[in-house]
Amino acid sequence: MFYSEEKQQLTKLNRRMFSLYLLKFSLFSLLGYRLFDIQISQSEKYKTLSKNNQIDLEIILPVRGEIYDTNNILLTTNKRVYDLSLIPEKTISIKDTLDNLSEYIDISFADRLKIIEYSKKIKKFHKIKIAENIDWNILEQIESNKFKLPGIAIDQDYIRVYPKHEHFSHILGYINKPNQKDMSLPFVSKMPNLKIGKSGIESTFNSILIGAPGQREVEVNSNGRLIREISRKESTKGKNINLTIDSRIQEYAFNKLKTYRAGSIVVMNIENGQVICMVSVPTYNSNKIIKKPNKKYWDTLLSNKLSPLTFRSIQGLYSPGSTFKMIVAIAGLKYGLINNESNIFCTGKIEFGDRTYHCWKTKGHGKMNLIDGIKESCDVFFYDLAKKIGIDRISEVALDFGLGTVYDFELKNQNSGIVPSKKWKKEKKGENWYAGETLITGIGQGYILVNPLQLAVMTSIIASNGKNVKPSLIHKENNNFKVNEKYKNEILIVKKAMFKVVNEYKGTAFKSKLANLEFSGKTGTSQVKKISLLERESEDFRKKEIEWKDRDHALFVGYMPSSKPKYSISVVVEHGGSGASTAAPIAKDIFNYIYKLGL
Amino acid sequence: MLLNKIKSLNYLIIFLFVLLSFIGAAGLYSAADGSYNPWSSKHLIRLFIFLLMAIILSLINLRLIYKHAYSIFILCLLLLFSVELIGEFGKGASRWVRIFGFSIQPSEIIKIGIIISLAKYYNDIRFDNLKRISYILIPLTIIFFPFLLTIIQPDLGTAISIFLLGIIILFSVGVRLWKFILGLFVFLVSLPVLWNFIKPYQRERVISFLNPESDPLGNGYQLIQSKIALGSGSLTGKGFLKGTQSYLEYLPEKQTDFIFTLIGEEFGFIGSIFIISLFFIIISIGFYISIKSNNLFGRILAIGIATNMFIYVVFNISMVTGLMPVVGIPLPLISYGGTVMLSSFISLGILLNIDLNYKIKKISKNA
Repeated sequence: MFYSEEKQQLTKLNRRMFSLYLLKFSLFSLLGYRLFDIQISQSEKYKTLSKNNQIDLEIILPVRGEIYDTNNILLTTNKRVYDLSLIPEKTISIKDTLDNLSEYIDISFADRLKIIEYSKKIKKFHKIKIAENIDWNILEQIESNKFKLPGIAIDQDYIRVYPKHEHFSHILGYINKPNQKDMSLPFVSKMPNLKIGKSGIESTFNSILIGAPGQREVEVNSNGRLIREISRKESTKGKNINLTIDSRIQEYAFNKLKTYRAGSIVVMNIENGQVICMVSVPTYNSNKIIKKPNKKYWDTLLSNKLSPLTFRSIQGLYSPGSTFKMIVAIAGLKYGLINNESNIFCTGKIEFGDRTYHCWKTKGHGKMNLIDGIKESCDVFFYDLAKKIGIDRISEVALDFGLGTVYDFELKNQNSGIVPSKKWKKEKKGENWYAGETLITGIGQGYILVNPLQLAVMTSIIASNGKNVKPSLIHKENNNFKVNEKYKNEILIVKKAMFKVVNEYKGTAFKSKLANLEFSGKTGTSQVKKISLLERESEDFRKKEIEWKDRDHALFVGYMPSSKPKYSISVVVEHGGSGASTAAPIAKDIFNYIYKLGL
Repeated sequence: MLLNKIKSLNYLIIFLFVLLSFIGAAGLYSAADGSYNPWSSKHLIRLFIFLLMAIILSLINLRLIYKHAYSIFILCLLLLFSVELIGEFGKGASRWVRIFGFSIQPSEIIKIGIIISLAKYYNDIRFDNLKRISYILIPLTIIFFPFLLTIIQPDLGTAISIFLLGIIILFSVGVRLWKFILGLFVFLVSLPVLWNFIKPYQRERVISFLNPESDPLGNGYQLIQSKIALGSGSLTGKGFLKGTQSYLEYLPEKQTDFIFTLIGEEFGFIGSIFIISLFFIIISIGFYISIKSNNLFGRILAIGIATNMFIYVVFNISMVTGLMPVVGIPLPLISYGGTVMLSSFISLGILLNIDLNYKIKKISKNA
């Protein structure tokens, strides 16, 4: 019975198996037909589609040119650094990889979640940048624990480094990713990922420093994945730039100036206009600005009341004080209102209108001629002289000596300052000029404002007997400046006075006289806006600060050597006291240093 | 005795298995851009080890398999369950479990367990009882638990193939047709429930399957790229190592689920027909061994194994030719992957065993 039952079942089984076999055969036939359809009937269509592997042009970013000083000392270069990125498809689990990675670098839990979220939105072969500029020892750890970190890739990159940032940040500026506004620049639109100069020389010479992009033709699949490289044209590194700055002098000047809170020193070569030193204090660190995250650093810079981001040499505006007396003297001589014999008597003050104008020397200088007036910086002499000349003629001369001007210079964000005139006041203030204001202008106070570079240029023009000296930061082949004969004789008289300022007893900078080197100059002490009684009371708790803020700016302009001038200088020390006590000694030391260098 | 057994092994089917494995190795070599690493060499090593295992398996007593059928099934089920507890996560699902340093996919192994236990069950029950509805409960349970554990991994493709495998075995042993129709009805009714049960990415796959061109860079992308590769292969193919689409990494998972595409591109229509013919011959030999077998256990077992192989092949090739959604079913012997290779050679061993023992008239508990 069992046997027959089993036989019955076997028969049943065979019948079912037969239909099953038929089913399988037909399904296999269907597969065969499907393959025939794709591989034979529609083959042409798919062949065409298969050729649609796109060829993409990829830009190879160029390496930025370097910047050197005049003696080929490196001022900025590019350092190879290593970044970390994650390739989702190469991980086993993104979470595990990131968890393991957090043993070596700091990635917050929130960041990890963000990365995981982001990885879902992109193609899984696309890299996600996780960290930039990894330290060597961390990189080593990551490298040796690679097996624990599937999907982590180490990429090479370059960052800009400024080895002498302390002395050069203002001049060089820094680089950053282009913003929307930069997109119109011709070199940016092609390479939107390339960091470009955002300020200083880095910005001015973008087109030279950037170099030329290379390109490679690559085959990519329809998903954008890179398949192979077809051709490659390497990028061309940007050209290097040599500045006219001498980093020895730059460093020396910076160290002189940094003992004060704020100020500027500009040293120029009178013969060719090359600026060999341009220091502004306080300064910032370009390296910190370009290293992300930099928000904290930005905040400290922006909240600093001394505004370290301001490049005082070209942006800082100061009353020129007594350094302006040369201009007034030249104007007076030019318009025949005085000669070098003319005298006035300084009693320490002068009455004009209903006001009294004081000389810095309250007991008075006594009998003064022009040369002594400059040498001893007699205010009364210049009140009187300015009154005779009139504001418009003074400002005309001031403009001729490069004040109130924005130069065609390698640094673009200069502040022009103010050279006031009757017209200027009417336009800007809507008021008439008061004669009293001319008196104040005569000693470089009042509306007139100049920047330290302008002072250096003014001094260079004087020192070169009227050469139309133009400042520059790079070596130019053609630097023969035209000589302006207009003020030739006037300048000679003024130069004689400037020599006496330093080299004769009673000269305001006589204490700074050098034994081995004759230099000429003029001190300046410019009054800072007085703080009102109310302000003083409200800030009484910071008395010391007020005292500092209330102090005069110390200025000095000069040139060396006196006989055959080669270098001019302008020194501004904010709230430094007097030009004679603070600024002139700095100029003396720098001139002496230049002299010792044999320049 | 042993020597005689070895002499009378079915060398045709062994040859076919080895041939397909070599084709697989060649495909993997090409997929790795003309390199034995990382896939091809491992594939060949597995072939060697698993072939030895298959031959050993073919020489043991068929009754031994019968005797331990349920234990094997329970063991596989526990393994599958362990995925839930200690499984490794990959590609949006946890399918793997590590045993003795090997990553294995229990959902592939359990198919063998299901076949063996269903064969034993239907071997044991009296023919009359087949009609009774109560006797369908145990087989359904045997199918249902693996199905459930697989679908929650979630591995929709394998779950469906487990389900189909079970249904086809039930059909072949003679379960009444109306039960299938009832089952189909229940299935259709529960479809909306199932739709809510499956994960969103699986839903996307089904939707993308229905209209692949709608999202050429997303899920439909694989299908389109696969068809481009196959179609551009044309009649004779682009030649070994000359496939472009596959090299270009158009094909994700080219070494596993899409290996057939690569071969189809390089060897054309002739190559792909050759491969599916080889599979059909293997399945036919399975049927032949089944019919030849004088005992019910061997018959059902052989049918089950042939059907398992059939489902793999049809699913995989339907997938890569766009007849079916991409559900992640590999092509046995050709795709890279240890577990499928292992289960294929266990199948070979069992088939050879049944073939050697075709003379056994009856296997029963009492014997």
